[in-house]
Amino acid sequence: MTPAEPVLTVLLFGSLAAVLAALGALPFAGSRRPAAAWIGGANALASGLMLGAGHLLLGRGLEHAAFGTVAGAALGVLYAHTIKRCTGTHVVDRRPEQATADGLGYKLLLESMLHSAAEGVAIGVAMVVEIRLGIFVALALAVHNIGEAMALTDTLRRRGISAGEAAGLCVGTNVPQPLLALAVFALAPVLDIMLPAALGFAAGALTFLVLTELLPASYQRARGALVALVVSVAAGAVLLLEDFLV
Amino acid sequence: MTATVGLVFLYGLITAVATGLGALPFVFLRRISRRHVAVANALASGLMLGASSGLLMEGTRYGIRQTVVGGALGVVFILAGERLLEGREVEFGALRGAGARQTLLILAVMTLHSFSEGVAVGVAFGGGTKLAALITIAIAVHNIPEGLAISAVMRPKGASLAACAGWSIFSSLPQPLMAVPAFLFVEAFQPVLPYGLGFAAGAMIFMVFLELLPEAYEGASSTAVGLWVCSALGAMILFQRYL
Repeated sequence: MTPAEPVLTVLLFGSLAAVLAALGALPFAGSRRPAAAWIGGANALASGLMLGAGHLLLGRGLEHAAFGTVAGAALGVLYAHTIKRCTGTHVVDRRPEQATADGLGYKLLLESMLHSAAEGVAIGVAMVVEIRLGIFVALALAVHNIGEAMALTDTLRRRGISAGEAAGLCVGTNVPQPLLALAVFALAPVLDIMLPAALGFAAGALTFLVLTELLPASYQRARGALVALVVSVAAGAVLLLEDFLV
Repeated sequence: MTATVGLVFLYGLITAVATGLGALPFVFLRRISRRHVAVANALASGLMLGASSGLLMEGTRYGIRQTVVGGALGVVFILAGERLLEGREVEFGALRGAGARQTLLILAVMTLHSFSEGVAVGVAFGGGTKLAALITIAIAVHNIPEGLAISAVMRPKGASLAACAGWSIFSSLPQPLMAVPAFLFVEAFQPVLPYGLGFAAGAMIFMVFLELLPEAYEGASSTAVGLWVCSALGAMILFQRYL
């Protein structure tokens, strides 16, 4: 199942994660749109998986160097915050009734692209630590992409874009994922001493993106109890599956 | 043994009394804005997530499966407590109607989750005294914004400062009461430790996503919430590693 060449493994699983995003557009193919609670729940699932992945990366970093990991995490948060501010994607009205507002479409697509770049870094760093861990993080983020794509497709459909096009856009905005994963993996030989900081960077960026993008969208569409339950179960599943698979 | 039981109780009591400090800002602030409450909730969320992350890492060292099962039990425990309180209409002190109901609900939820915090303190002694001291400080610190949240609900509805502080401490009293049996339980049944650590983490994480974060998003921008939560989370992790 795993190609002998590690670089091919990174490319394969990074791409798989990006391509699976298309599945998020599938529920919108018919004439009826899924209920808001389903979209919110799917987004909460994406949040839980991403937080679980962040927790794993953080744990791996803390094992080696606690200060370096936390400093890396601070940089990750700062980077994600700064790039959101500079691109104007730090203020996005995600409420479903605002879906047709001017300029929201390009903002959301740009935001998704920056978001998936951070995920690519996470996959790449995990691959550097251990190929099996990298594959696991890529698979978790692949399922996460589906839930995330549902919220994006919801808005795109309300803006009059067809389900097919939305599927294409969901995959397209996730292309930075395999690219960044490959780029970080290529840096493996020089990462060595900086690995805890790189792990922290990925964990910090993922956590910040969950808090600023995925969770607000979840709470706007689903009840707090549903969001809390789905996030807890998804994060728990990541911990449990890592024990079985890695 | 008796000395340690006393110490566990004392640590638990400190965390409970710290909750009363949450009423302090109201001495200086005539009106607390929605944003203040939101930031306090975001801060509490980050500290609780950081503490949970530490508990989970500690628990998984003993057994990942047991920790996750414990976490699931923590979630069920909070869910059952919430279900029990749903749809009851009561007067509360000087407060009536919707205000009384909301105050009672917040107090009940806070008191309820103090049980699992008490278990966390007690269980932490099973994981070593060093960790227990850290978790006591962590819980005491994160109790302050919880007290602030309680006070922020009660004070604008006309409750006195003393009532705010008193009920805040009350909400945390289950901590010392639960800490001792939890400690004894852990001592007697070492294999149960990962379940206990997971239980506290699950209950805390669930409380964050069920109560604290939605309230934080209501009063502050998602960027502000993200920055506050991440800062508190990072600070808590450093705190745990280096103190």
